Amino acid sequence: MENEKKNPNEKQKKNPLEIFDFSGENAIEVKDVDLYYGDFQALKKINMVVPKYEITAMIGPSGCGKSTLLKTLNRMNDLVEGCRVEGLITIGNRNIYGKDMDLSALRKNVGMVFQKPNPFPMSVYDNIAYGPRTFGIKKRSQLDEIVERSLRQAAMWDELKDRLNKSAIGLSGGQQQRLCIARALSVQPEILLMDEPTSALDPISTGKIEELCAELKKDVTIVMVTHNMQQAARISDKTGFFLLGELIEFGTTDDIFTSPKRPETERYITGRFG
Amino acid sequence: MKNANAAAAADTRRAPLNFKEGFAKFLFFVCACLSIIAVFGIVGFVLYGSVPAFRDIGVFQFIFGTSWNPNYDRYGILPMIVNSLIVTLFSVLLGGIVGIFTAVFLAFWCPDKIHINYRGNDPKRAQRIEKINRVLHKINLRTIFDQIIKLLAGIPSIVYGLFGLEIIVQMLSGMNGGRDGKGILACSLLLAIMVLPTVTSLVKNALEAVPESYLEGALALGNSKAQAVFCVVLPAARSGIISALILALGRAVGEAMAVIWVSGNRALFPSGLFSNIRTMTTNIVMEMGYATGLHQSALLATGFVLLVFVLIITLSMNFVPKEYRGGKGTRALLDNTGEREIPFRKQGALQDVLFGISVFFAALVALILAIIIFYIVINGIVNFSVSFITSAQAIDVPTLMPSLLATLELVGITLAIALPLGICAAIFLNEYAKPGSKVIKVIRTFIDTLSGVPSIVFGLFGMMLFRNTLGMGRSVLVGALTLVIVVLPTIIRSTEESLHAVPMSLREASYGLGASKVRTIFRIVLPSAIPGIATAAILAIGRIIGESAALVFTMGTAFTFYGDPSGAGSSLAVLLYTCANEGLHMGEAYMTAFILLIFAFVLNIIVYLIQRGVRKKRMN
Repeated sequence: MENEKKNPNEKQKKNPLEIFDFSGENAIEVKDVDLYYGDFQALKKINMVVPKYEITAMIGPSGCGKSTLLKTLNRMNDLVEGCRVEGLITIGNRNIYGKDMDLSALRKNVGMVFQKPNPFPMSVYDNIAYGPRTFGIKKRSQLDEIVERSLRQAAMWDELKDRLNKSAIGLSGGQQQRLCIARALSVQPEILLMDEPTSALDPISTGKIEELCAELKKDVTIVMVTHNMQQAARISDKTGFFLLGELIEFGTTDDIFTSPKRPETERYITGRFG
Repeated sequence: MKNANAAAAADTRRAPLNFKEGFAKFLFFVCACLSIIAVFGIVGFVLYGSVPAFRDIGVFQFIFGTSWNPNYDRYGILPMIVNSLIVTLFSVLLGGIVGIFTAVFLAFWCPDKIHINYRGNDPKRAQRIEKINRVLHKINLRTIFDQIIKLLAGIPSIVYGLFGLEIIVQMLSGMNGGRDGKGILACSLLLAIMVLPTVTSLVKNALEAVPESYLEGALALGNSKAQAVFCVVLPAARSGIISALILALGRAVGEAMAVIWVSGNRALFPSGLFSNIRTMTTNIVMEMGYATGLHQSALLATGFVLLVFVLIITLSMNFVPKEYRGGKGTRALLDNTGEREIPFRKQGALQDVLFGISVFFAALVALILAIIIFYIVINGIVNFSVSFITSAQAIDVPTLMPSLLATLELVGITLAIALPLGICAAIFLNEYAKPGSKVIKVIRTFIDTLSGVPSIVFGLFGMMLFRNTLGMGRSVLVGALTLVIVVLPTIIRSTEESLHAVPMSLREASYGLGASKVRTIFRIVLPSAIPGIATAAILAIGRIIGESAALVFTMGTAFTFYGDPSGAGSSLAVLLYTCANEGLHMGEAYMTAFILLIFAFVLNIIVYLIQRGVRKKRMN
């Protein structure tokens, strides 16, 4: 507010949160990416293009690097000591490992849902209002609007509209996870990263979240890591198969599951190892 | 732990309850109950001593009376209550804020290693900086900070008192235009420094117990680290933070020896930051030495009122809600206003400022410790005198040797009694009682209560029980018996932790070979827990050496000592008190403070080395 008063010309200056341009065809472009944890190379020459408004699944056995790649897409890997990324990752026409990349802007636009539901120890309402609040939304009416919109998007409005003041910790595991999705949606991301979002949940909750993802892809691009091949087959449009830090095969889900080109992929999807 | 119990229960069922096993269990149980007995004993004896005062003066007159003048038998302690509460609140507010921010810095930003980045092209300089970096990498900043906090906690109250008298009061005197610097502000500042380590270490523990996933969740929403820490993690740790502050309240309200020289000692209502005051604790220390009859009873009654405050504070800890329970009722949203365009703006400037504050406060804490150490060391060296150390003891001149010997004897007797009792109590709590059972909850509550009782009240209790009731004189033995109760909670807790860390499989292996429970405990469990028990003993030694308020009326303040436990003597901390109290022997006081500081330092290092050894062993 003060800045605006001081420099009226600056008003036209772009909002630092809106630095991405998602008008192109692809949401994410990963080019020749290597990633090291100290001396250990966790990702080797990854090349991948994630199209807009699709669900892209990443599958592969434990330790294959799929979660690692997911976490480089919103730079959560920066938290890991000794983690080094080489290569180019472009999101919304910006190099996200560029020098002037604003992490807040990146993560606002590239939301994340974690393996274990992690609602904050606050009320349902405050959980969802949290993100907008930290981006300066204070008006009650605007917050209400966002909370309702996010809950509706996550198909939880009818379940929770009478319990907005209750503790989010008291919800069931599946509800907690969908609340986390709603929370991620509250800051209106373009891309949603999901790190095995259903691995800690029961089949019914899993089904609900899969339905939700299919609905959500109208508005957001989803990149999902999953342990569960059937899940990838059911809901994703594109699938990438990872093995020992390499992207073995990437293509439409139909192709990967019906006519894989690489023998490793075939062995994995037919359940012979992994 | 559930498995542990099942195994333990199965074991008792299988083995026929012979006399030895049953007797051992009974013995452990009695030791565990000692804390309960001690708490009731303390409340009972102090209350018993205050009965004459309450009866002759009247409870209402005593508590709400505004004038204290023993010469005219006027005993009203309201001003002192008010003073105590004001000073306590101020100090916890100050120390709490600084402590919380310091803890935030330690938990989230304190780097392990310091590193100088050189981006220039001069190869010689790069080489030199590389060398410096190699040295710097050996220093672990986080460990150093942990030790700073522990050392601050280990410095005896009476040394803080000396520091307050000489540095804080002088400093404030300057602020007050050269007039007296003693009073509300001086007490608050000193107590704030004293509660700092408590708040910092407890809040740090609470912050580190918050799941990492909260921090990640907030970061993934586009928070800066500072935003995530201050908006999510800190509120998530609120119950731990509140508990830390409550504990600090108890510490501050019961502190006697540190404030005795900085309060100004006038039993009047305060009128400003520099108005001289007398707190409940200082009232007791100041006058108990010569009080008799109703006067003595009135002082005991002051102690009782203090004890009631402390008990309320300690017990209120149980009412801190452990986790977020949600708000009341439902929350209705406003009607849909249809505001489609909601502009998000980058925020977080406030949190960046808070981050800056936490760095600043952490540096301040380190600076405070540095000033205290520097001040004590310099004065100790400047005032060094050979005669203080070597000359023969005399009734009227303080010398070091008798106090040193009395302190060693005090430590020896106290540990000889307290260690076995504490270990047995810990054995009952960890090996026999069902975790989560009512017995354990009750005993734990009493152990916590006992550890919250102010030193001065322990002193009153020792005086009432051993001197007034059992007719013993001031002696090392009476001092030691009093201190047994003081250090019991520390020993029990530390031993229990180490017993808890002994893997269940070791016990099962022993039972599997047909060993009895008692045999398993003494042959397998206790030997594995020796590092923890040693830590317990050292923590207890630190507490004994630093203790003064509980000893003045039980062990005495004599300058001489002849080795007999039934004779009076003064421990080092008490010697410091007597030397500085009248301002006649300041040089000796500084030397004693220096020695106390060395003790605190060495004990801290030993604990650190033991714990590092244990950690390394576990990692292998």
